[in-house]
Amino acid sequence: MSAAVTRNAGRRAMLPQWATLPVVFGGIIVLLWVVVGITIPLWTPYDPTMLAGGRFQPPNASHWLGTDALGRDVLMRTLYGVRHSLPIAALVIFCAVLIGGTLGAIAGFVGGLVDSIIMRLVDVTLSFPPILLAMAVTAALGPGLGNAAIAMVIVWWPIYARLMRAQVLSVREREHVEAAIAAGATRPRVLTKHILPLCWSPIIVNATMDFGQVVLLAASLSFIGLGAVPPTPEWGQMISDGALHFYRWWIAAGPGIAILSIVLGFNFLGDGLRDFLDPRSK
Amino acid sequence: MRTGIRTILLAGAGAAAILSGPAAAQDQPLVIARNLEINSLDPHRAFCDTCQIYLSSTYQGLVKLAADDRSVEPLLATEWTSNEDQTQFTFKLDPDAVFSDGSPVEAKDVKWTFERLKNLQADPSFMMNGVASIETPDEKTVIVNMESPNSEFVGILAAPYVGIVNSDVASENGAMAGEDASSADQAETWFLANSAGSGPYVLDTYRPDDELRFRVNENYWGDAPPIGEIVIDHVADAVSQAQMLQSGGADIAMQVDPDTASTINSPDITIETVPSYNFIYVMFSPGAEGGDMLDLEVRQALAYAIDYQGAIDFTVGGEGELQASPIPNGFPGTEGLPMPEENLDKAREILASKGLEDGFTLDITVASLNVYGVDLTLLMQKIQQDLARVNVKINIQPVASAVWREQIANPGIPFSARFYAPDYYGSAQYVQFFGMLPDTYWERNASGQGKVDLVNKSEVDLFQQALAASGDEMNRLYHEIALEMIKDRIIVPVVSPNLILAYRSEIEGVRYSACCNLPLAEIGRK
Repeated sequence: MSAAVTRNAGRRAMLPQWATLPVVFGGIIVLLWVVVGITIPLWTPYDPTMLAGGRFQPPNASHWLGTDALGRDVLMRTLYGVRHSLPIAALVIFCAVLIGGTLGAIAGFVGGLVDSIIMRLVDVTLSFPPILLAMAVTAALGPGLGNAAIAMVIVWWPIYARLMRAQVLSVREREHVEAAIAAGATRPRVLTKHILPLCWSPIIVNATMDFGQVVLLAASLSFIGLGAVPPTPEWGQMISDGALHFYRWWIAAGPGIAILSIVLGFNFLGDGLRDFLDPRSK
Repeated sequence: MRTGIRTILLAGAGAAAILSGPAAAQDQPLVIARNLEINSLDPHRAFCDTCQIYLSSTYQGLVKLAADDRSVEPLLATEWTSNEDQTQFTFKLDPDAVFSDGSPVEAKDVKWTFERLKNLQADPSFMMNGVASIETPDEKTVIVNMESPNSEFVGILAAPYVGIVNSDVASENGAMAGEDASSADQAETWFLANSAGSGPYVLDTYRPDDELRFRVNENYWGDAPPIGEIVIDHVADAVSQAQMLQSGGADIAMQVDPDTASTINSPDITIETVPSYNFIYVMFSPGAEGGDMLDLEVRQALAYAIDYQGAIDFTVGGEGELQASPIPNGFPGTEGLPMPEENLDKAREILASKGLEDGFTLDITVASLNVYGVDLTLLMQKIQQDLARVNVKINIQPVASAVWREQIANPGIPFSARFYAPDYYGSAQYVQFFGMLPDTYWERNASGQGKVDLVNKSEVDLFQQALAASGDEMNRLYHEIALEMIKDRIIVPVVSPNLILAYRSEIEGVRYSACCNLPLAEIGRK
């Protein structure tokens, strides 16, 4: 009994407190994808949009994940796919946090009519199923990854607005805020210096978890032809190609595994971060 | 309890079906899996491959295309004559012919039909080009006078779009045939729910992107077709069609591509590969928005940059033929035409002489469709790779086919891919659709509705002569026209894919027809 306690205590001393197994595992996956995304043009033998070999070759030594209908290497296309998925996800999350966070903070802090207007807008947006709203917006703007990103920001910002408002509402009542107000701090200063710094942890946790979801939604939009346009090596687009050639399983397998791994990676990372930043929710 | 009763009833019905044998089998609806892609069911506005199947089953022309896909046979007309210079045609109608409401087919219906087809100014209206007047000396005689000779006129009458419509019924429901028909006619919606022809089937229901259902015409004046009810089920992609066929959910799959066909390995399924007159082409529209640089030389260069054999290999797994001109192989005048040539050196040379060695970018849209086993987006990606070799960059935007149809007219699409299936056996239809004659479909759209002058005067002259000629002289003239159309470099055929007929082995009578795609009335169960 005492030996086990000592061993655990030893491990805790070696690793930082946040480095739980899921965080490390998720972090490694995400880091690998980031590295692949940045360095891939330096070490890949094939152009992902050009002919690399015969069409419909099953996985073999020169094409590890086979080739598609136009003789393009599926592995290369899968790896290049991350150059579209990750930046889009980062951009969408950044914009959604910025817009949602700002509006949520204003709603929570100012209250009254402003709060009502912003929150009703949030309610209306959230009442649509996300994929449906994203489809409608993309269909209106026209296909393309840029437009898909705009659509996803529209879908995502209300989540952060609601989250931020709830945080601001609870922090606003704390004594140090009252003290700051009593000391004569201006309202913007109270909000930015005394309230917001205490509101970030659930936002960060949520954002990490949502990264995977955005990747998934972007792929879904491309799958139904509203996201990336051919020949962009985008995962949803590739799975859609694979569905056309259903019996050549390898065409959809690569991007399928890629989506699975990246969503899993971000979920693990998000879970671990939540355990660390918000221990009460454990 | 309720479920129990229903199960017993269903079991009883099933047993009855088995006991009653082949007759009952013919009573089951025949299911055809196909991408419907219908633009209209109005016989004079419709212009699509499914429309050919629909119209040739519900309407009948004065003549029909024989099973040899070349000669014409009597249908509503028992006999016909023409004067020596092919400017007047006289038809005698079959006295027994009746429409689906039981009323007789009369000369006035023929006159009304031809006039409406002409005056609606819709996609198939070109078939009535040159018709000056129609006389009806008695109820069963029709005389058609042409403005100029037209040796192909009788052949045109075998096209599904020239099927005779019951003019009384159609007029009651808003159809007009007068000169102002293009604005006054209100019948398109009515035609979506009703047919008014004399064919072996009538329209039962049509639900866009869902199903097109036929039931047998109870007043049919010919031999009753073997199957009482036919459903064309909208199934967009080849794999789903093949799966439906294998699971028994469909009896015939119409657009299975060679790659998917090679994966079907079941004794219950018959797969036939036959050459077709269908083809896929790419087209340049110098008058379209963003197409300014596409002058004749640049078009020629880009045509040289396309890897035609590669396109056949990559889109239909080699199951197709090269095609020289917009008149398909085997039609009058196509013998000995020069096949398209891939020549990168020439392409680069021409582009360099124009100062375009660094290439340019074209933003294009293509219909996301699978036709004749060819995925148009996939074909365009292949051509995108080909043109990248001469530094020409294409940005592809796949869109729904209906959107494509709108965009091609306005603002135009500088470069795209499309398909065509013949409506009858004869080369004039191709000249009237693809030729650079004033106001043909592609002259209008490629020139941006007249922004640039693309009219080819020699084609205009040669076509007039061809319509007045017959036999070898006609073939020679169409050959000349085909050469001119190749030189235009507006329409560049890429592949004439072989057609795959995939059906369950208990089905018989499935065949490809050059006018009508799939003649439904010939299909039965063994």
